[in-house]
Amino acid sequence: MATIAAPSLASAEDAYAENSGIWSWITTTDHKRIGTLYLWTALFFFLVGGLEAVLIRTQLAKPNMGFVSAETYNQLFTMHGTTMVFLAIMPLSAAFFNYLIPLQIGARDVAFPRLNAFSYWVFLFGGIFITVPILFQVAPNGGWFGYAPLTTNQFSAGPNIDFWVLGLQILGISSLAAAFNFITTIINLRAPGMTLMRMPMFTWMSFVVQFLLVLAFPPITIALFFLLMDRFFGTTFYEIAAGADPLLWQHLFWVFGHPEVYILILPAFGLVSEVLPTFSKKPLFGYNVMVYSGIMIGTLGFGVWAHHMFAVGMGPVADSIFSMMTMLIAIPTGVKIFNWIATMWSGEIRFTVPMKFAIALIAMFTIGGISGVMHSSPPADLQQTDTYFIVAHFHYVLFGGSIMGIFAGIYHYYPKMTGRFLNESAGNWHFWLNFIGFNLTFFPMHFSGMLGMPRRIYTYDAGQGWDLFNMLSTVGTYILVVSTSIFVVNFLRSRTRGLKAGNDPWGAGTLEWSIPSPPPDYNFAQIPEVTSRYPLWDLKDPAKTAGIAHSHADSATITDAHAVPVHEETERHTAKSLGIPMPFPTSKPFFTALAMVSMFSGLLFRRSGHDSIALTVVVGGALLFVSGLYSWLTSPLE
Amino acid sequence: MSKLRLRHAAPALLVAVFLLALTACGTEYPNSTFNRHTDFNTSIDALWDRLLFWGTIVFVFVEAALVVTLIKYRKRAGGPEAKQIHGNAALEITWTAIPAVILVLIAVPTVKTIFETQAPAPAGALKVEVIGHQWWWEFHYPELGITTANELYLPVGRTASFELKTKDVLHSFWIPQMGGKRDLITNKSNFMWFTPNADLQSSVWNGFCTEYCGTSHANMKIRLYTVQPDEFASWAAHQAKPAVYPAAEPATPATPATPAIPAARGAQPTPAPVEDVGYMFPTADLPDHVIPKTPTPAGLTYDDALLAQGDPTAGQLGFMIGGCIGCHAINGLPGAVSTIGPDLTHIASRHTIAAGLFPNDGPHLARWIKNARLMKPGILMNTIGRGQYDPLLKITQEAGLDDKQIADVVAYLQKLK
Repeated sequence: MATIAAPSLASAEDAYAENSGIWSWITTTDHKRIGTLYLWTALFFFLVGGLEAVLIRTQLAKPNMGFVSAETYNQLFTMHGTTMVFLAIMPLSAAFFNYLIPLQIGARDVAFPRLNAFSYWVFLFGGIFITVPILFQVAPNGGWFGYAPLTTNQFSAGPNIDFWVLGLQILGISSLAAAFNFITTIINLRAPGMTLMRMPMFTWMSFVVQFLLVLAFPPITIALFFLLMDRFFGTTFYEIAAGADPLLWQHLFWVFGHPEVYILILPAFGLVSEVLPTFSKKPLFGYNVMVYSGIMIGTLGFGVWAHHMFAVGMGPVADSIFSMMTMLIAIPTGVKIFNWIATMWSGEIRFTVPMKFAIALIAMFTIGGISGVMHSSPPADLQQTDTYFIVAHFHYVLFGGSIMGIFAGIYHYYPKMTGRFLNESAGNWHFWLNFIGFNLTFFPMHFSGMLGMPRRIYTYDAGQGWDLFNMLSTVGTYILVVSTSIFVVNFLRSRTRGLKAGNDPWGAGTLEWSIPSPPPDYNFAQIPEVTSRYPLWDLKDPAKTAGIAHSHADSATITDAHAVPVHEETERHTAKSLGIPMPFPTSKPFFTALAMVSMFSGLLFRRSGHDSIALTVVVGGALLFVSGLYSWLTSPLE
Repeated sequence: MSKLRLRHAAPALLVAVFLLALTACGTEYPNSTFNRHTDFNTSIDALWDRLLFWGTIVFVFVEAALVVTLIKYRKRAGGPEAKQIHGNAALEITWTAIPAVILVLIAVPTVKTIFETQAPAPAGALKVEVIGHQWWWEFHYPELGITTANELYLPVGRTASFELKTKDVLHSFWIPQMGGKRDLITNKSNFMWFTPNADLQSSVWNGFCTEYCGTSHANMKIRLYTVQPDEFASWAAHQAKPAVYPAAEPATPATPATPAIPAARGAQPTPAPVEDVGYMFPTADLPDHVIPKTPTPAGLTYDDALLAQGDPTAGQLGFMIGGCIGCHAINGLPGAVSTIGPDLTHIASRHTIAAGLFPNDGPHLARWIKNARLMKPGILMNTIGRGQYDPLLKITQEAGLDDKQIADVVAYLQKLK
């Protein structure tokens, strides 16, 4: 319909020419470029975590293997978990938060663009900080859960756990800063007419996740701070000789750790809630219930942490309460599954690659959900906890759920991000090999677990009845290597060779598809006024949205003086030519983040007894950090 | 269709995997949790059956609904257009309510079982104290005055009530065939009980540490022998006694090594008769899965021929001068009272060493003494063989025992029935 004419014509190439080079990436405050940085970095760490998994599975292929040593194995499984949770899945979700939230709500950037850049740089430096030690065989080796007192000086005297404590503390700062940023963005920067209950489901689930982050990170921060004080300054929070109760750590960790599971899965739920309606040619079934169930999952998620601790002997009353709270979560989760299926029901389902991944999420997450109910029952869980059955369960949730959803999101939004499609047939190979490899790796673990195989063991003896299942799991992992390699090649090649995609290559209904692909730096030349949940379908195919509430019947009428009706923008300008003020590029967040990370890393010298160096680096880092912040906060945004 | 269509092959492959898993059901699963050998696991298994029943129903229903939807509403040329349904309150209430009902059907027996299995142990239960160490198990029978390590005997038909503690980090005590696990928490006692069925034949079960506890977490295993009450009584009576070696003075005519010993024998207790060593689970009856197959490290060599020349009396001296006495107790050997390492009073009555990692025989004992840190990563026990490289301290052991002295110590330990 309405297309904005170009005041002065600037080609895409011109607009991007001034935005290339490493320096432009270091100084960027554009949420899309930061999202891209998150995506690339997180995919890199995903490959690192995957490589660690390959080494783990090779060691476990057969009984009594000597492929890696016990110590190396313990570092590998610790870093595999830590990497996948904190450096792969969370930042992959953050990539979508960054890229999509402003586009979906009709904003030109996030609320605090420089804080956004800061979050990314802190994540990158924290990720490097925690990952590099494995190259020198001093990586964290206490498990991703880092149970005290194993992680105290008495039992872990090396620097290994130091990297973990400091690294997670650094990464937590990144997550918290980002969470406050997105909460503010979603509350304040929605386009006119974009009420909360008209927000796209991905933005909604992201919104819930930001609150989970804000509420779940303080407990882990405290837990880590205690441990940090114990390790560096001789306090006795977890010191057994001083009478510490090691369950303190477990409670604090899981008060964070369980909401963390929903932090990892809800963004994927959001992504498939965008993909399924698009390729079913139908709006999402039961939008309100999907919103409420997401909030419900997030809320209940804070009341179930002790189901990770049924074996610690909390007593029958606590066991019963946490058991029933856990079972309750199955209800809103089940509702989501049914509503997704109902979204497809009576639709016209197109089996594109993103759709296949979204469907795989429904099918696989269901299995993870069912095994989850199985260990919500404490007596049954006593046979399951800390065995491979649990490993199977949470990989069905985090790989079958989160990763499948994230791949759905990548295939779905790649055309928006790059202007080109990922290759469809390579995508199909990736999907099917991924699906087979995933099931072959993790389904047999249900058996090895219930047949008595404990977790976190670097080796096992022959004749225990586990050989076949372990071999299958290892073969499955190698298939995943092949499928992931296909994806990597496809991801890299399609940037320049993929078929060109227009504004709205899939026929989707939300605002991000109304602007060019890739979107110009200003996103929307004119901010649209939204009248329903699927503004673009209102525009192109009103029949599809006739049954849902609109603020006024005629979407061409507007009530907000600064907005225009929903429209498609096909031409590409520059913010300057349109007179749209955009945040200046600045390197201050980069250097402030660098200073903060060096401040933390100074503590490492205390381990080796160089207290004066430690003091110099910590104080120097702190001074640089504060002056970085000062100069950042006193310079104008735009 | 010349092009390979992976999506057609995929379901076939998955079916093949499941069939393979099914055929595997014919083989032996010695650590399976699906059994009812104890009251504890009977409760758990009943609950599991219910969970599996409802889980299977939900799985089949959801996946079937998904597949039917995908087939029925796939986009086809000339197919029907999408119907724009946005929600259906009645339907959504239904699929909220049905899972809730299923969960109630699971929750009720769950809570019942929680309270049943965590009730105080029945009167007359056999008390066993379990103490976790990095990376081995200490067992006490306080009523019977027995201390042993890594291998546990229980009579069938009588409840065993465990008090679980740890000397260092967290561990978890798990014998899959007997029931659930329970964590060992620092500065705290935990409890658990189960009753091996009275009709169980004398059998051996594997147990594991299931809470990650550091480098050799994988090498912290348990052997449980559930035996007939009379067998247990015989075993217990013997285990409560001091070591049977050195035997009574008249029974051992002077050997060349004896002159060196008397000083150490000052407070020698009255030895038990050599013939009565109590019940021990017969080696010939050991099933394959409890016989360790851990390979010994390639770099660790020992001439097994030396073992035949091992002199137990000299070995007893070697046990003291080699430093073993610094960590290991032997009831009956004066001065050997340390509780840092496993109690060795009746070490020769055990089938395994190193927490189930190796068989208890001469060649393994000798290599173990020579360089335990090569055989079990990260452990506290020193490298004792002279000239051996200690992989933890990264130094070469200059003092220590030579291979002949090790053979002597092995001979001594093998006397400790």
